[in-house]
Amino acid sequence: MKLIKKHIPLAIVMVTGVLTLVSYYVPNKLSVNYIETLSQWENIVVAFAFLLGLISLFFSHYNKISRKADGWGYSVFVFVGFLAMVLPAYLSHGKQMTDAGLTPLGWSFKFIYNALSGTMFAVLAFYIVSTAYRSFRIKSMQAFVLFVAAFILILGKVPLGQIIWDSVLGWTGQGVSDVIEWIMQVPAVAGKRGIMIGISIGAIVTSLKIIFGIEKQYMGKD
Amino acid sequence: MLKEQLQKFFKIDRRWIFLLLAITLFVPIMKPIGLPNKTISPATKRVYESIEKLPAGSFVLFSLDYDPSTRPELHPMATALLRHAFSKNLRVGVVTYIAGSTGLIEEIFAKVPKEYNKKDGVDYTILPYQPNVLAVMTQMSSDLYGIYSQDRNGNPIIDMPVMKGVKNYRDMSLVVSVTGTALLDYWVAYVGDKYGVPVAGGVTAISQPGYGPYLQTNQLKGLIGGMKGAAEYESLIKQPGKGTSGIDALNLAHLLVLALILTSNIILLFVKYF
Repeated sequence: MKLIKKHIPLAIVMVTGVLTLVSYYVPNKLSVNYIETLSQWENIVVAFAFLLGLISLFFSHYNKISRKADGWGYSVFVFVGFLAMVLPAYLSHGKQMTDAGLTPLGWSFKFIYNALSGTMFAVLAFYIVSTAYRSFRIKSMQAFVLFVAAFILILGKVPLGQIIWDSVLGWTGQGVSDVIEWIMQVPAVAGKRGIMIGISIGAIVTSLKIIFGIEKQYMGKD
Repeated sequence: MLKEQLQKFFKIDRRWIFLLLAITLFVPIMKPIGLPNKTISPATKRVYESIEKLPAGSFVLFSLDYDPSTRPELHPMATALLRHAFSKNLRVGVVTYIAGSTGLIEEIFAKVPKEYNKKDGVDYTILPYQPNVLAVMTQMSSDLYGIYSQDRNGNPIIDMPVMKGVKNYRDMSLVVSVTGTALLDYWVAYVGDKYGVPVAGGVTAISQPGYGPYLQTNQLKGLIGGMKGAAEYESLIKQPGKGTSGIDALNLAHLLVLALILTSNIILLFVKYF
């Protein structure tokens, strides 16, 4: 049993992992074919994962509705939203636009999905502005540095801010765009590069741990 | 007494701030101020130059991966980039890995190609949505027809004039990724670096600072950032659009944020030291 549940999966992970890793660095017909086959398999697996995710989503929300759990009304909209997009897609054979104009799918996209998605994201702007007022307090030296950088960036990113900078600080000879360019090219890049290197090293270590069977959490507890 | 009064400002009902922002945005959207865009960032200019220097007939792959949530920033820049490509008579291929992008792509292509008398299949092709980006990127390195045999309408692409001589990344002059996700990183790491294809990008303003390292090392040929970037690009191609008009609302919104931050900190200072 241990062989089927543990050793064989670990062996598959190790062989696939090593081959995929090697293929990246070996420009050979064999490795290209291997990667192509693996990519096609991956696409098939992803398609099934989509289906699995959909079924799981439906079950979860169906249970909420049938149990009348808190906020079950929102779960109804999962089905309403799904049908509002999938039925028109089926009727329009997946096409959003024809020579005659918008298809039912195109209409649903433009007037349902587009509007709802845009609204959801736009609401964020209100929370960000409110949070900026309530939380951006300079209580330490670090907060002050962050404030100065943020202030310059927010100001310099719009023409009106540039006009204000030029009229107040124009005498310094430094345009706000130059200052922003320096912030973006020096401290921001240094910080981002450090983060990227850290994340990459972490990803490499984790990948190697999975490939060589040191990290086995993905297999579950059994 | 005054301190207590001031401290009340910290606990102001946030709906007042919401109202203030709504008014601030509503006015310029209804009646644009039309402030000139004074500067053009070097990163935006680099994208423009990357397209500008391509000879007519070069194949450019556009990866348009954004949904309506990031539409105000990214749709104008995608439109401006495509206008530029069509005006230079470049061949255009469009891919997407975000299902929500498909309608936005249709929207652009219902309008822009007509302005330049460009035809589907001859001058451009729109490939269907694919869910698994890394697998698709890898497959396209050897033979893109292995993953994209048809366009989004089900027509075979291999015999289309737009695809003539295009089999994989080696036959592409530039990849432009306009995205509100991390897909630009993938284009740089899995395509640009590995296969030597020039990659340029367009991202939201909030993601823009994260691409500094790629720009410095030239892994990214150029980057358009946010609505300002879109406005800059529109001014480079001399075709003002939604980016230029949207920047007015952004002007006042930015200043409102600054005013609010300054106000709260001045109150904090006053409460603390006086």
